[in-house]
Amino acid sequence: MFACNGNVETFVLFRLSDKSEKWIEWILLIATCISAVAIIAILSLLVAFCLPLFTLGRIRGVLSSQWQPSGGYFGILPMCAGSLALSLLALSIAFPAAMGICTLLHVLARGVFNRFLLATVRFMTGIPTVVYGFVSVFLLVPPMREWLGAGTGFSLLTAAFTLSLLILPTIVLVLHARLEQIDPILRLASEALGLTPIQQMRHVLFPVASRGMVVAAVLGMGRAIGDTLISLMVAGNAPQFPVSLYHSIRTLTAHVALVVATDSRSMAYQSVFAAGLGLFLVTGLITLFIRKSGKAGREVRREKGF
Amino acid sequence: MEETVRKIMEPILSVENLSVHFSDKPVLQDVSLSLWPGEITVIVGPSGSGKSTLLRAVNRLNELYPHCRTSGSVRLRIHGESGDVYRGFMALSELRQRVGMVFQTPAVFPFSIQKNLTLPLQVYLGVNGSTLTERMEEILRDVGLWEEVKDRLRDDATTLSGGQQQRLCIARMLALKPAVLLLDEPTASLDFKSAARIEKLLLNLKRRYGILAVSHSLAQTRRIADRVCVLREGRIVQELDHEHLRDPDAFQTIIDVAF
Amino acid sequence: MKRVSDRIVTGAAWLSGGGLMLAAAVVIGFLILRGYKNLDLALLFGDTPWQAAIMGERPVFGGIWPAFMGTFYLVFLSSAMAIPIGIASGIYLAEYASRRLRSLLGFFVDLLAGTPSIVMGLFGFTAILFLRKTLLPEAQTCLFLAAACIALLVLPYVIRITETSIEAIPEPLRLLGYSVGFTRWRNLRSVLLPLASRGMLSGAILAVGRASEDTAVILLTGVVAHAGIPGSMFDKFEALPFRIYYLAAEYRNLGELDQGFATSLVLLCISGTLFLIAVCLQKSAEMRWKRR
Ligand SMILES: Nc1ncnc2c1ncn2[C@@H]1O[C@H](COP(=O)(O)OP(=O)(O)OP(=O)(O)O)[C@@H](O)[C@H]1O
Ligand SMILES: [Mg+2]
Repeated sequence: MFACNGNVETFVLFRLSDKSEKWIEWILLIATCISAVAIIAILSLLVAFCLPLFTLGRIRGVLSSQWQPSGGYFGILPMCAGSLALSLLALSIAFPAAMGICTLLHVLARGVFNRFLLATVRFMTGIPTVVYGFVSVFLLVPPMREWLGAGTGFSLLTAAFTLSLLILPTIVLVLHARLEQIDPILRLASEALGLTPIQQMRHVLFPVASRGMVVAAVLGMGRAIGDTLISLMVAGNAPQFPVSLYHSIRTLTAHVALVVATDSRSMAYQSVFAAGLGLFLVTGLITLFIRKSGKAGREVRREKGF
Repeated sequence: MEETVRKIMEPILSVENLSVHFSDKPVLQDVSLSLWPGEITVIVGPSGSGKSTLLRAVNRLNELYPHCRTSGSVRLRIHGESGDVYRGFMALSELRQRVGMVFQTPAVFPFSIQKNLTLPLQVYLGVNGSTLTERMEEILRDVGLWEEVKDRLRDDATTLSGGQQQRLCIARMLALKPAVLLLDEPTASLDFKSAARIEKLLLNLKRRYGILAVSHSLAQTRRIADRVCVLREGRIVQELDHEHLRDPDAFQTIIDVAF
Repeated sequence: MKRVSDRIVTGAAWLSGGGLMLAAAVVIGFLILRGYKNLDLALLFGDTPWQAAIMGERPVFGGIWPAFMGTFYLVFLSSAMAIPIGIASGIYLAEYASRRLRSLLGFFVDLLAGTPSIVMGLFGFTAILFLRKTLLPEAQTCLFLAAACIALLVLPYVIRITETSIEAIPEPLRLLGYSVGFTRWRNLRSVLLPLASRGMLSGAILAVGRASEDTAVILLTGVVAHAGIPGSMFDKFEALPFRIYYLAAEYRNLGELDQGFATSLVLLCISGTLFLIAVCLQKSAEMRWKRR
């Protein structure tokens, strides 16, 4: 561009600004590297604080099944199981519901209702987590206690209901974004073949979007595992294996919050670092998986903020 | 002789005074035409004249657009019974099964070739097992695709060439045993050779089905059409039959005037 | 038979859609119903006269003013860190980075976005432990630490939204500046950034919203129940979401419970409003390119 200009003045101008251009580029690059530095710092700090577990051979103590600090037991396996059970349960409530809502959005509902439903879903992602927790303590826990006879009402099931409400909008939005990208001619073609709306959804649209469905589920699972407040507020926090829906459980995230707030024994702390490292690795793997799913991942990123 | 045959036979499809509005904009006005079995009727006309809309009005596909309004009647004649599809002659999905449609651009599902064909059969007719594979082979032979795809039935259908995809779409439509075929520029996105194959296929198929097609190519129209309707700004301005089609120059003149 | 399964699925779909709307309505309605009567000055300032409270002449007991100010400081500090860095990163990723660098750095951004907030809090906590052992034996969790961790938490949102709003600009406009001889930065400053500003603003507002609602991070990085208004960046602090969490578990009387509801309502309004503004901006930014 400049070469064919051949104009000396332009050329000089270009050379002059060239230097500051470089500076700007460097500044921007450094800003970008902050994310990378942060990730490396998180990982190395957590690993560093977990190291004593290995050098002192305490790792088996942490990876055991009993948590009783007063008795010297610091196992976090019940919390791992609790996290897994809670997030799976929440996902198994939220995912079918998300499929239903996407069916409404794409083939059943029309016009104003459709837009209103989507707006509601969007808005729900903006409701603070702590508000969900607060409402559910006073609205969901008492009936669970009284009607289901579920102990104190602070239980796996209560937390799963609340948590599913929290992750539902994310799943719906990711799935919806994927379905939106399907070429409308496929809808037209399946309509022309005489498939009913539900059949179109079941046999054409969902199968075409299958990758996106997996991504949506995994992403929902990631959010469920990473959530702290819901389980902290309504799951009861008893450090025991999840044996029934009506029993209280404690998740890894809640465990971290509780121990840091109350305990001060070094072994208890180390179990917390192990829990944190585990959470970080699991969510890292989930991120990796979503990125590997290529195109679907990009939609996720776009929808994630909402 | 031909005339007498036509008089004895009733049309398999007759469109009467059909008008279509898209949010108050008239797209088709007072269109009437008839379709006899064993004939290919071709609709020609400038872009935007409503050809696709006319085809979609026949199988009520326009209803997918909420701002579309249709009046007039489309009478269909199946197994000796006839009725107006807009007055509940048959259920919507049955109508779509009886009146198959192929789009301008091939719309294969991004599944395997096999699944593309068997999906409607399974979902819709509940056909299964060996009947299914037999039926599939039979139809693929019908459209002349069997030899080309028999070893790769499990491949993704989107890996087929455009012409093959379009024939697969025709096959998928034929699988449901329709009575009337609606073809919206079936060779629009194809090269000369693939187009020739599809033309040949259509000439074969017309013995068993009533065919209503849209074409942009006058040469092609002359090769396959038994009757031609010229559509302009939503109205049929000219109907031509064999007489006019025989002489290329006369045909050209008529079309020139009509456009 | 097919029809029956169709009906069942249809019913289930409407049920889930209805359930979702009902749940949203119940959450919001319940808070409004229980909380609106307590939305008054006493909620904020307790018994302290409001002028005195705002001027900081007298401490507030019983009101949520300290929590409100704590959240305000927290959001202000974390936005001051996250928004400039996020916008700079977004610009770099969208305009400067080579494909490989972009994919690599983008991976870190994604990792950051996927990191649970409790882990981010734990990071802050371990950082303090680390500082105590090495440079600063007196280091303790504080407002500044919490703000830094929250900044990390919301950083990916700002980055991604900046990046996508620059990318959404149609190709001809993106190249417009170059065609009149602008350098890369000049083109960015005079063409791309003004065009992408609406989307970027929405990202910033979204980040503010996220920062105001997160609880898990501050739980580990220095929030305490009765800290009062922090005097400096290195003090402990209170925050609205933490106040809600605290009241849900430890309310001592009905008055405090009512305060919990009212506080929830306040927080819902704050982050709901921010969120709506962000989404509207985002939509209008998207529509701008779609209409063309
Ligand atoms: N879904 C729709 N909504 C609104 N207007 C439509 C819709 N479909 C078609 N139209 C309008 O109806 C008119 C006829 O469209 P149609 O697709 O039937 O034309 P066509 O004759 O098939 O053109 P072409 O040869 O380019 O395919 C056009 O003006 C078009 O803008
Ligand atoms: Mg057309």
